[in-house]
Amino acid sequence: TLMGARLAGSHGDTQEPKTNPLVSISDEPETLYKRLSILVKGHDKAVLDSYEYFAVLAAKELGISVEKVDKPPKTIERFTLLKSVHIYKKHRVQYEMRTHYMCLELKYLTSSTAAVYLEYVQRNLPEGVAMEVKKTKIEKIPEHIQKPVWDTLPQVKETEVKS
Amino acid sequence: TPLSPQTRAARVRVGRGDKMVTYEQAHAPHHIGHRKGWLSLHTGNLCGEAGAAQRALEDAFLRRFLAGTFPGLLLDEPVLKRRGNLLVLCALLARALPPHKLYFLQGYTETLLGHFYKCPVRLELQTLPARLPYKFL
Repeated sequence: TLMGARLAGSHGDTQEPKTNPLVSISDEPETLYKRLSILVKGHDKAVLDSYEYFAVLAAKELGISVEKVDKPPKTIERFTLLKSVHIYKKHRVQYEMRTHYMCLELKYLTSSTAAVYLEYVQRNLPEGVAMEVKKTKIEKIPEHIQKPVWDTLPQVKETEVKS
Repeated sequence: TPLSPQTRAARVRVGRGDKMVTYEQAHAPHHIGHRKGWLSLHTGNLCGEAGAAQRALEDAFLRRFLAGTFPGLLLDEPVLKRRGNLLVLCALLARALPPHKLYFLQGYTETLLGHFYKCPVRLELQTLPARLPYKFL
């Protein structure tokens, strides 16, 4: 009856591999990134310091090599306005906005690693105070440069490679 | 550079000694970043970022809205945080209303502001028995 059906079971000798719907496997060659530079901006230096610790720890846990952690100098945007609504030109008010920067450079990533790391790091971006500007440099191996031009054909092919 | 003693911006003047003042009110605006934090956190004012004016307008509206939906209950200025699309409002309230009314007001503000600003809004409330005094001026 029911007990017999359970003992017979649907588990055979061949077990189907469990396919995780979140993991996608493709045969295309992955684009490689030579350097991934993440620039974080904020008003509060303490928040940026803690975020740097978090990002470096996340990179180490994922096995990504950190090239360097650069801290460019802060930029202060100042402006002087009139203090009063109508006259009194001699009395002004000065405001300033300080932006602190922190640049994180990571070496030698694949596109999937970069996607995972960036998604994790961006989801945990602290509110408002830090913003991210990402610049990636892609390694390409174009076929037409592999052989030097002066060896093969008299026709000179001009190809501009912009880095 | 020293400040002129005649500046009156966001400063509570010394009185008889009976005026209760919170930590936020006691410190002058030149202490922001050193002894004070920011009340509104967004990326509009950073170098190379846009949207400062829109955020400022939204902040003004949100503070008036919160002051109106919780009349007399707000103990200190609400802190507004923006994480991507999400808008988080953190407010300290007094325990004058029963909890089910506070839950209703929380849901009301969240849905109304969500429909108004077309972004997810989260209101995080914390109740205290009374305003925390820092000084008496």
